[in-house]
Amino acid sequence: MKQDSAPEKPGAGESLYRKEPKIYARQVKGTFARLRVIAVWVLLGLYYVLPWLNINGNQAVLFDLPARKFYILGLTFWPQDFVYLALLMITAGLSLFFFTALAGRLWCGFACPQTVWTETFMWIEQWVEGDRAKRMKLDKAPWTADKIMRKSAKQALWILFAAWTGFTFVGFFSPIRELGANIASLSLGPWETFWIVFYSFATYGNAGFLREQVCKYMCPYARFQSAMFDKDTLIISYDPERGEPRGGRRKKDNPAEKGLGDCINCTLCVQVCPTGIDIRNGLQYECIACAACIDVCDQVMDKMEYPRGLIRYTTEHSLKHKTKHVIRPRIIIYGVLLIAILGGTIWSMTHRVPLRADLIRDRNALYRELPGNLVENVYTLKITNMDNAPHRYDMRVLNNDAVEIDMDKPLSLQAEEVLGVSVRLRIPRSAGQGVQTLDIEFQSQDDPSIRIETTAKALMPMDFGN
Amino acid sequence: MNDTSQSLPGRWSRGKRDLGIALWIAFLSACVGTFVIFAVLDPDALNDAWVLPWEMGRRLAYSLGFLFLFLVSLIASGLTIFMIRTGPKSGHASGTGRRPPPEIRSPEEENPDLDIGDFK
Repeated sequence: MKQDSAPEKPGAGESLYRKEPKIYARQVKGTFARLRVIAVWVLLGLYYVLPWLNINGNQAVLFDLPARKFYILGLTFWPQDFVYLALLMITAGLSLFFFTALAGRLWCGFACPQTVWTETFMWIEQWVEGDRAKRMKLDKAPWTADKIMRKSAKQALWILFAAWTGFTFVGFFSPIRELGANIASLSLGPWETFWIVFYSFATYGNAGFLREQVCKYMCPYARFQSAMFDKDTLIISYDPERGEPRGGRRKKDNPAEKGLGDCINCTLCVQVCPTGIDIRNGLQYECIACAACIDVCDQVMDKMEYPRGLIRYTTEHSLKHKTKHVIRPRIIIYGVLLIAILGGTIWSMTHRVPLRADLIRDRNALYRELPGNLVENVYTLKITNMDNAPHRYDMRVLNNDAVEIDMDKPLSLQAEEVLGVSVRLRIPRSAGQGVQTLDIEFQSQDDPSIRIETTAKALMPMDFGN
Repeated sequence: MNDTSQSLPGRWSRGKRDLGIALWIAFLSACVGTFVIFAVLDPDALNDAWVLPWEMGRRLAYSLGFLFLFLVSLIASGLTIFMIRTGPKSGHASGTGRRPPPEIRSPEEENPDLDIGDFK
C-alpha cells in the first residue's frame, strides 16, 4: 500500500515545525453536494431575510434588549418567559444527541454556521479564482496584474459579504430598517458599529481563513462525538473489503484477474475533502461528514461502470456484516425525551396567559386599624399586559368576599404595558389573626380566558386579651 | 540521612492536577468577578426590575452571584483542559510523529480512462 501512515520522524537538521498545508478542496457535484447547497440557501436565506419581515407590526425576529422583549415570529417573550429559553437550549442539545446517535455528524456537514459560511466563501473564491488547479497555480504564480486583480476582487467580495453578515446580525438586536437608515446617514451608534465590525471580522476570519482548522482544533463537539456514537451510528466510510487492494487500471480490465479491488486509487476522495483527510484510512475525528467523498467516488464508479457506494453512509456493524439496529435504547431515550420536552414547551407556550401581576406588601407599614372592624394592608401591584391588544382587568379576592379593594387607578392597560398601582385591601377582623394568605384573581373584562391567580400576605392584629 | 521510613513527597497524578487547576482558576476568576460586579451593582436596588417573583436579600444575592460565576468559570476552565488533553496528539505543527498529509495524484496517472475534465 502506498498510503502508509508511518509516523514521520524529524531527522537531523530537519525543522520540527511544519506549516499546516493549505487545503485546496476540489468542487464536487452530486446528491450530497446538492443537499448542502439547499441547506446553505435555506439557512442563510432565513438569516438574511428574517429581520426584514414584519409580523403584527413587529420585526419577525427581534431581540430588543433595551426594552427586554424578544419578538419571535409573532410571539412576544418577556423576561419572565426565560424558562422557554432554557427549554429551547435543552431541546437543541437533545436534538444534537438524537441526530448524532442516528446519523453521525449531520450538524457539521450541513447545518453548522462554520460549514455554511465557509461553503459560501469557497463559492466566492471559486467564482473569482477558478477551480482547484487554477487556484493552486495562481498561488504559486508571481504577483502579476491578473493575480493582484483576482486576489483583491476576492478579498473585496469577502469583506463585503462579511460586512453584510455583521450588519444583519446586529439587525436581530436593533430594528434593521432603522439600522440601515442610520448607516446610510452615517449616524450609527458606537456600540452598533462595534458589533457590526466585530461580527464581520469573525465571519471573515472563520470562513475565509480558519475554515477546517476550527473543526479540527477548536470545536468541542468533535471531541464529544465518541460519547454519542455507537456501532449502529451512520458514518461515512470506505468499504475496504470491496476496495482493497487498490490500484490503477483500464476500464476494460477485469479487477479480479489483476488481483485488484474496486478502488482505482484516483485520490479524488482526498482532493474533495475540505479537511484534507483520506477517508480510506477509516473514521477520523477530522471528518465533518460533508459526504463530498461519497459524491465524487460515486461519479468515479459510474465512469468505471462499477456499482456505486464504495464510499457510503454505513455503520460499523454493517461493514462487519453484523445485525443492524436502527431502534436502540439511546435512540428511544433521546427520542422520547425530545418529543416530551418539545411537546411540553409548545403546549405551555400556546397556553400561556398574557398577564402577570405581582402584589408586593408595603414593607414600611405594618397595618392600619379602621373603624368598622376593618384592617388595612397596603400593597404595590405591578401588573403587566403581555398581550398585543389593550385590556381592562378586574381584581377579586377569592377566599374572602368581604375584603374591600381600593386602587388609585383602574387596571386599564395598553398592549405590552407595565403598570404600577397602589392597592389598599381592607380586611374584616373576622378573617383571622397574624399572617393571613389571600387568594387573588385577575381577569380581563373582554376576554375571560385571560385570568391568573396569585396570593398576597396580609398582616392582621393579634388579640392577646381574649 | 537515608531514612526510608519517611516517604518522599509524591507528585499529583495528571488527572488530579487538572482538577486542581480547573477548580482553583475558576475560584480565583469567580472571586474577581464577584468583587467587581457587586462593587458597582447593589442587588437590593434591582428589586423593582427583578425577574424572579421573590425578593432576595443582599447576602443571598452575593452568595448566588459568586456560585453562579464559579460554575461558569469552572465550565470554562474544565472545558479548556479537556480540549487541550484530547487534542490531536500527532497533529501539532511542531509535534513529532505527525502523519504526513495524504498522498494526492492526478486521477489519470494510473487510470488512463478517467478524464479529470469530468470532475470540474
